[in-house]
Amino acid sequence: MPVLKGKELRVVGFLCNWCSYGGADTAGVGRFSQPTDLRIIRVPCSGRVDPMFVVKALLGGADGVLVSGCHPRDCHYSQGNFYARRRLETLKNFLPALGIDPDRFQYTWVSASEGQRWKNVVSNFVEKVHQLGHAPRIEEATPYLPLAEKGDTPHALRAPLRPLSYPAAGTLAASLEQLRDKIRAALPELDCVIGWQQGFDALHATPLFMRKPEDVDKLTWGPLNVHNLATYLPQFKNRKVGVVVKGCDSRSVIELLQEKLVEPDNVRVFGMPCEGVVDMTRVQKTLDAGNADGAMCADAAPSSVGVDGDSLSFEGEATARLKLADVVAEKCRTCDTPVPLLGDVVEGNASAPAGPAPDAPPSLEALDAMTPEQRRGFWRAQMDRCLRCYACRNACPMCVCRDHCIAESRDPHWTTQEGNVREKLQFQVIHALHLAGRCTECGECQRACPVNIPVLSLKQWMNRSVRTLFDYRAGVDVNAVPPLLAFAVEEKNIKEHGL
Amino acid sequence: MPDAITPQAGAHATTLGSGFTDNPYLPDVATVLETVQETPAIKTLRVRIDDPARMEAFRFNPGQVGQLSLFGVGESTFVINSPPTRMDYLQFSIMRAGEVTAALHGLKPGDKVGVRAPLGNWFPLENMRGKDIVFVGGGIGMAPLRTLLLYMLDNRADYGNITLLYGARTPGDMAFRDDVQEWLARTDMQATLTVDQAPEDWPHRAGLIPHVLLDLAPSNANSVAVLCGPPIMIKFTVEALKKLHFADEQIYTTLERRMKCGIGICGRCNIGTKYVCVDGPVFTYAELRDLPNEL
Amino acid sequence: MMSFARYIARGELARALDDMARGRVTYAPRREGDAVVFRPRAEGEEPLLARATVPPKGVIFPQSERLFAFIREKDPNDPGHTTVRLDSTVDIEPALIFGARPCDARGFHIFDRVYLNGPHRDPYYAARREATVVVTLACTKAGSTCFCHWTGCGPADTTGSDILLTPVGVGNDAGFVAVAVTERGGAVLERANLPEADTARADAAQAVHAATHAALEAQSPAPDLSATPARLLERFPDTGFWRDMSDKCLSCGACTYLCPTCYCFNITDENDGGDGMRGRRLRSWDNCMSSLFTREASGHNPRMGKALRLRNRVGHKFSYYPQLHEGVVSCNGCGRCITGCPVSVDIREMVVRATEANEETPNA
Repeated sequence: MPVLKGKELRVVGFLCNWCSYGGADTAGVGRFSQPTDLRIIRVPCSGRVDPMFVVKALLGGADGVLVSGCHPRDCHYSQGNFYARRRLETLKNFLPALGIDPDRFQYTWVSASEGQRWKNVVSNFVEKVHQLGHAPRIEEATPYLPLAEKGDTPHALRAPLRPLSYPAAGTLAASLEQLRDKIRAALPELDCVIGWQQGFDALHATPLFMRKPEDVDKLTWGPLNVHNLATYLPQFKNRKVGVVVKGCDSRSVIELLQEKLVEPDNVRVFGMPCEGVVDMTRVQKTLDAGNADGAMCADAAPSSVGVDGDSLSFEGEATARLKLADVVAEKCRTCDTPVPLLGDVVEGNASAPAGPAPDAPPSLEALDAMTPEQRRGFWRAQMDRCLRCYACRNACPMCVCRDHCIAESRDPHWTTQEGNVREKLQFQVIHALHLAGRCTECGECQRACPVNIPVLSLKQWMNRSVRTLFDYRAGVDVNAVPPLLAFAVEEKNIKEHGL
Repeated sequence: MPDAITPQAGAHATTLGSGFTDNPYLPDVATVLETVQETPAIKTLRVRIDDPARMEAFRFNPGQVGQLSLFGVGESTFVINSPPTRMDYLQFSIMRAGEVTAALHGLKPGDKVGVRAPLGNWFPLENMRGKDIVFVGGGIGMAPLRTLLLYMLDNRADYGNITLLYGARTPGDMAFRDDVQEWLARTDMQATLTVDQAPEDWPHRAGLIPHVLLDLAPSNANSVAVLCGPPIMIKFTVEALKKLHFADEQIYTTLERRMKCGIGICGRCNIGTKYVCVDGPVFTYAELRDLPNEL
Repeated sequence: MMSFARYIARGELARALDDMARGRVTYAPRREGDAVVFRPRAEGEEPLLARATVPPKGVIFPQSERLFAFIREKDPNDPGHTTVRLDSTVDIEPALIFGARPCDARGFHIFDRVYLNGPHRDPYYAARREATVVVTLACTKAGSTCFCHWTGCGPADTTGSDILLTPVGVGNDAGFVAVAVTERGGAVLERANLPEADTARADAAQAVHAATHAALEAQSPAPDLSATPARLLERFPDTGFWRDMSDKCLSCGACTYLCPTCYCFNITDENDGGDGMRGRRLRSWDNCMSSLFTREASGHNPRMGKALRLRNRVGHKFSYYPQLHEGVVSCNGCGRCITGCPVSVDIREMVVRATEANEETPNA
């Protein structure tokens, strides 16, 4: 039994082999006394530290995690610590989304000769962790489900920035025919063009793969076209393919082009101005609201759905007229890219936003308003019903490695297959981290979730961190390099942490 | 800290079985007696189930498989490579391919493994009695053939002419060296070896298995062919056997699939309506011909 | 077997449930966020009667469970020698599922044929199945994606249930007619000390069943699927057909994990701590839509593309399973795969089109 059992907290350190590990050795040789809580793992370079190392340690019971590398400009491998600085600063910004105190994670720079500095770093950090105490575990958090009984989303609806009104039926039909003509003209040189058609009932559209001219007749355009079809592009590899996009989808195409996951010569983009798509859950709840006794059956569907300016009209068992503004997806409320940013776009008038997009979309505001303890309880409650179906991952246009995902691999072995909250949350963090600087907030991950877990808010938090740190927005400039795939010698928005 | 799904011994705790015979997911613990590095990629393990009564009562037929596991790593399916006529141990020959097989290659005598066996069906010996047997093995595919061949040699009078064609990419890839030497020397069977690439001092055949088979031209009269090897070798060897007028019912093979439960429940190893772990792994070509083409 | 019917007044439901479930954990639908899931119910809690987003199969077939623990121990007399002990102790809590629908409960029968009546018996499933009472609520409406009447199930089907409750009456006269389906169901129903349901109420229950059935037929007339097992086999080589059907599939697992009849699982080993001295073997839900499902260590994958995997999924449910199990279809028509699918892949469409006579020669 160690002498300090019960008095030590568990603090994990990732030290780069060349500078920091050397510095720790120097401290040892100099016999500087320091707390014994820190357990060191040696890595070749701070750039080797995957932010998931830190997350896995913290979710797994570490009370604190320290990363230390060579000073910037002095990296043994020239650039490793520049990348590390970006990744780890982003991570530090992200941890509070999970209810983890960001002070439990620190990264710093210690050179091989800085024995005294190493002693100070360890002493200061371990003392800080002791002040914070044992780290609370997500598995032990009190479940927090705001408004669970009302079954409502935990945040208020915000009025859309734009008026959101579809053109008159005749105009819309004419634009759609123009779109179809463009596609028919391009079809002979393309493997297929991906668009939408009517789905299994009047309330649902479904992706359409057009290969013959007759297929194009089935193409629809309207608020039911919720799917981001860009997700299919990477699987076509060297074949030429066309895709129909809304404005938000076009950003995903741009991001794929930025990362060279699709070749510009192999993709033809078609689109029209968009006036928003529905949040199907919200529509369903509105239609079901008339059923007494909490709806004793599955959803009832209208026999037809029509778009009429700023409203949707439903005919059938229940006739209803819903304002688009009340049922559109959250992303549509703050959309500033109603017209596709690239491709062959049918002309039309998209209503202009009344003002700039707010800093925090409503779901993020709700997360912001929670205390760290509530956030832990929130994620515990939400992840409890997660099925690990990976619909969120497979619907994401950026997740091109879905067939080799580290959440399912045995080598490397990141997660077990257990259905507990920690493993499931760990996957969500992997997803958010792997999307840092790449996610265009298309919202497909959340829409795809069969049990309606608000997973998008984690990516929104990550995107806010990326915006704050790097002034960067994914999927708008085809020549931009995503910030976490690059580095700067001097970082404008990253300040040194005093340790 | 206890894992979330480690059951605490509570009011409703119950122990499900003590071994494979009463809980098909629970392995029998076995000890590695010896290991033989057949080739750089193939290692043979000889194990004995620790429970003496269970080892004593162990019965199986040639062709049956077992799920061999290393606790903490995982399980994988291997044919029981030794015949039921030689029960000092159970032999498994393992080609290194992934996580579990790499770990099994690291085992030493005295190490513990888990055995869930016997699983699956077996070679229908009653259909082979009194007939001439043509064995064709490619690479690690020799493993199930070894079981049946040794069994037949131990019951020699029950079978007619026995011919073996064993092929590998190079001489270094041939397993079961000692057995092969014995088989070449025996007068009550005909053994032929072939390699894809023959070195200068190679005294045996060179060439792909189907070509050598056509050259050897075994008769189809009162014969059965038993083959095993990589899917591509099976495909072309079956073609060769058809050229030699072997009927589909005369051709036997054993298949492999990614397996988990091994008992026909987890739903993974099916080809159409057949589960390779219970309806196989031994199939005749006639049976395979009637199944969806999903090899 | 059906004992005579009992009647539960609407206001009596919570109390009756408490009595029936005494000594058991009750799992009932509860709203969580925008989903409805089965959760343990507190005594006296008024249960939600909506159909759950996720079926209750996880009560009897947990998303993950420990098969056994392994414990290595050093031999005190021989330090270089380790023994291994296996501990297959499991915690099987007596349970009651309340508020399953017939399309949920029939799933347990699909499981039973494979897990209990196959060449090998699954003791983990058997123990939980034995320990769980299933109380099912008959349906009064047809959802737009309901097709239970196509698959041999139905809005009042009793397969897999111990007790069936049918809502009758309105307002102050609202209640449930309760009927025991199994002997165990009868014993459980007895504990609630309920009055008999009179003829009028029993007739009302029958009328509800008939009306819902008629509504389902009106919404989507059940096609003749008797030729489907053979037709799906004929369609097997038609790669163009399966490509068209699977174009939009994302190869996730939503359909599988929402399905009351999907029963495939994975087995993996995990270690407790880094020294390999203790650990556990788990089984966890797995799904045939994943590219990893049949991928062998060599890299060879018999179902490399999503078209082949979707072909196998539909084939298993509507062809292979029925061929092995006296024509029983491994689908209850609950429609969750359709509504839960992010891109609305519709198994009805696939089955109907595959069953239609082939127009052109299928590609070899």
